[in-house]
Amino acid sequence: MEVKILSARFDIADANKLEVAKEHGAYGTLEKLFAMEPAEVTEVVKASGLRGRGGAGFPTGLKWTFLPKGLDKPVYLAVNSDESEPATFKDRYILVRDPHMLIEGIIICCYAINSHDAYIYIRGEYISQAKILQAAIDEAYAAGYLGDKVAGHDFRVDVTVHRGAGAYICGEETALLESIEGKKGQPRSKPPFPAVEGLYGCPTIINNVQSIASLPFIIEKGADAYKAYGTEKSPGTHLFGISGLVKKPGMYELPLGLPLVEVIDKVAGGVRDGRKLKGIIPGGSSTPVLTADEAQSVTLDYESMAAHKTMFGSGGIVVLDDTVDIVKLAENLVHFYYHESCGQCTPCREGLGWMLKILGAIIAGKGKAKDIDLLLELCDNIEMKTVCVLSAACTMSLRSYLNKFRSEFEAYVANTASAQPVM
Amino acid sequence: MADTIKLSVNGVEVEVPAGKNLIDAVAAVGIEIPHICYHPALGADGNCRMCLVEIEDGRPPLVAACKTKAAEGMKVRLDSEKIKKIQRDIMEFELINHPIDCPICDQAGECILQDYYVKYDHAPSRMRVPQVTKGKKMDFGGGVVHDQERCVLCARCVRFTRLITKTGELGIVNRTDQARVNIFPGRPLNNRYALNVVDLCPVGAMTSKDFRFRQRAWFLTKSKGICHGCSKGCNIYIDHNREKYKDDIIYRYRPRHNALVNGYFICDAGRMTYKLENEKRLRMPLAAGQQVDLESAVNALKRRIDQADKLVFLVSPSCSLEQMRAIQQLATHKAAVLSGYSEGYIQKGDGDDYLIQDDKSANRAAFALLGIDESKDTLTAALNEADLLISFGNDLSLSGMVCTALGKTELAFVGSYANNCADAASYLLPVASYSEDSGSIINIDGVLQRYGAAVVKNEPLPSMLQILAQLGGAFGDVQAVWSDLNSAVEAFNKVDLQNIPAEGLALTVSEVDNVTA
Repeated sequence: MEVKILSARFDIADANKLEVAKEHGAYGTLEKLFAMEPAEVTEVVKASGLRGRGGAGFPTGLKWTFLPKGLDKPVYLAVNSDESEPATFKDRYILVRDPHMLIEGIIICCYAINSHDAYIYIRGEYISQAKILQAAIDEAYAAGYLGDKVAGHDFRVDVTVHRGAGAYICGEETALLESIEGKKGQPRSKPPFPAVEGLYGCPTIINNVQSIASLPFIIEKGADAYKAYGTEKSPGTHLFGISGLVKKPGMYELPLGLPLVEVIDKVAGGVRDGRKLKGIIPGGSSTPVLTADEAQSVTLDYESMAAHKTMFGSGGIVVLDDTVDIVKLAENLVHFYYHESCGQCTPCREGLGWMLKILGAIIAGKGKAKDIDLLLELCDNIEMKTVCVLSAACTMSLRSYLNKFRSEFEAYVANTASAQPVM
Repeated sequence: MADTIKLSVNGVEVEVPAGKNLIDAVAAVGIEIPHICYHPALGADGNCRMCLVEIEDGRPPLVAACKTKAAEGMKVRLDSEKIKKIQRDIMEFELINHPIDCPICDQAGECILQDYYVKYDHAPSRMRVPQVTKGKKMDFGGGVVHDQERCVLCARCVRFTRLITKTGELGIVNRTDQARVNIFPGRPLNNRYALNVVDLCPVGAMTSKDFRFRQRAWFLTKSKGICHGCSKGCNIYIDHNREKYKDDIIYRYRPRHNALVNGYFICDAGRMTYKLENEKRLRMPLAAGQQVDLESAVNALKRRIDQADKLVFLVSPSCSLEQMRAIQQLATHKAAVLSGYSEGYIQKGDGDDYLIQDDKSANRAAFALLGIDESKDTLTAALNEADLLISFGNDLSLSGMVCTALGKTELAFVGSYANNCADAASYLLPVASYSEDSGSIINIDGVLQRYGAAVVKNEPLPSMLQILAQLGGAFGDVQAVWSDLNSAVEAFNKVDLQNIPAEGLALTVSEVDNVTA
């Protein structure tokens, strides 16, 4: 089931080094690229159907077309490498094993959107990853792939690595821009959207690492070659991080559209120790959980996830077996979002802490039956009333646990829950 | 009248000023969209979420009214169950970690949480878990004391120090419900407008060290006034109260919005000038160095004037326009030399490019319009020959002249505040100060403003105009002064002194030119 499109060079030793990467095709698309018109590049990317790999799945080529025309301001590219969504560990492979694929993608994107300055916003915890990435950038500069004349062509691209300081919210694209600008990472109110008014008040395109890294293949092989993988509405391949209680957790590149349960069984070796599947978090902690029953009919693509009232998300799949205490899992998750709330706007700042304390009381055996309904109401009261969607990421998933595993919460409230460890 | 647009609010068409956000636009026709973080001087931040409204045109279901420009044909919904519930929910979130210590909170009575709870929430608390605790009574410097627990994180104070004073002492540190306003360690509020954060704070998180615990807000009478601390003439509220068995006392000044003069703010120094109205006031009349009753003192000074060979009147640049004109009239009548010499009121270099002016007098601009001489030479030449100098509130010692060493010239003082000059006077007539009197002043930008009496003391002092009339002046009341100004002073020929607009009247350039010409 696995494919090697993005991960083609992942298993080659020292592919993070320019010499090795070049030997295996890195920067091979540049001659073709500079023979194309920028608008053509955008058209190819639009035709490929590539969707944003950060979690929202917005069509990448379409996003580029939102840039205002005929503006005398510079256009910036910000590459979102904040990869902070719990259970998500795909971009780090690109950063470490094939950073030149990312740099090549940046050159392609910059050419398409006529940007000369790209920022890679990398999460603060990625220390060794940032070093490897910077070393690759330094090599690319030395070899003339970055700088005033990219590969000898009259086109400048400068790339700056900006390290975050450890905040999930800085993966939200406007908080990311604030952080690059040296401010506290807090989301901006939209509109204006970054494509119109982004970094330093200038039009800015923000794309995920994997989205950008997908560009060299698309330009080299063409849109149809990319669409040969995946489904009609979810073309291409995706780096999936499969974790949780499976035999072979890890990062796997798969075409979109495969049956979820089959992937768990065949790629990740199935649920460990012969335990029973209880549920699956399909695409990072923000996506509503699927019960074992629901998971049977889900395929790994945007449309199937939406049909099952969850989201494709970031490709971070977490497998839960029947030993998992859903109430403690929910508390763990709410604690994460509580801790990562920027504290800017009222419902998220005050509401997440309140929900966390209620969950704590339930686990401590001090909960009341009405607390479960209060939690559900608080989810409604917070969701979509905020500046950004961080709180919605929390409430959508918490609501799914409360609704789909309500009996476990009720058991705690009735003080009969068995003591089970949270995974 | 500015351009207007028509939009519909709750299905009713209203005509509102164009170019404003929804909050300000519909406020102009008396419709309130509740909001906590938005302030017109600080712009829209959108963090409180209290102003979420529905706009029925297919855009996202909810928008923050502070961030949304009112547009022609917009259909705004404020009264739907959905919006009312959001307002209740936001209030619930604001209150769950609020200490609700209203009985000991200075803001009680003028607190947005209290007002909005009654208007938009009114639901019992559902909070059954421990509240977040944060810092209390933190000294932020600049006379500001902060309570982090009462704070609603609206960031008005933070934005004030960034956008208005550009000093940036305040910031919000930490995230989530641990977020709190703080100063950098060892870097307290250090700007001359710091106390405005107390007024800006919609709750009791920012309190004034000077005011806290002194009065309950609902006992204060909030009268309109104009600060006399410098030549800017900032508009203020004079908050005062007559406690049982006590006198009417001023407890604080607060800024009052006037787009023509000071905008939304005042400086800290001006704010503190309320103390001069309460303390070190002149009370005891003197005649020939002896304490006497007021009537005797007035009569004694009147006799002394009539006996004088050479008479000099010295007028303070903080006297009102009406007082100045009446003094000028009496000076002419008594053949006195009239001087406005008051160099010492100007502190060169003290002003800034915002509100604070070098000139610490309130009405110097009127000197020019009335033709009152300010030169030192005129005054010293006159004093060489004079046997009586009457100072109307002018503290000559500020200008480097020693009031006890005027030689053969005897000194009389008619004024409100104790100072070196009043101390040296052998005739002393205490009069009502500006907070107890009405009048007009012209600020450094040529804006004529009218103020009324705010405070009525248990034992009211006479106004300076009354004293001038008793000393032989021609004007019985302000009406008489205005008629005279209109007919006899060119600069006021075309000024309708009866009807000065509330925000003041910017005297035109030609009126000022006419005088200097």
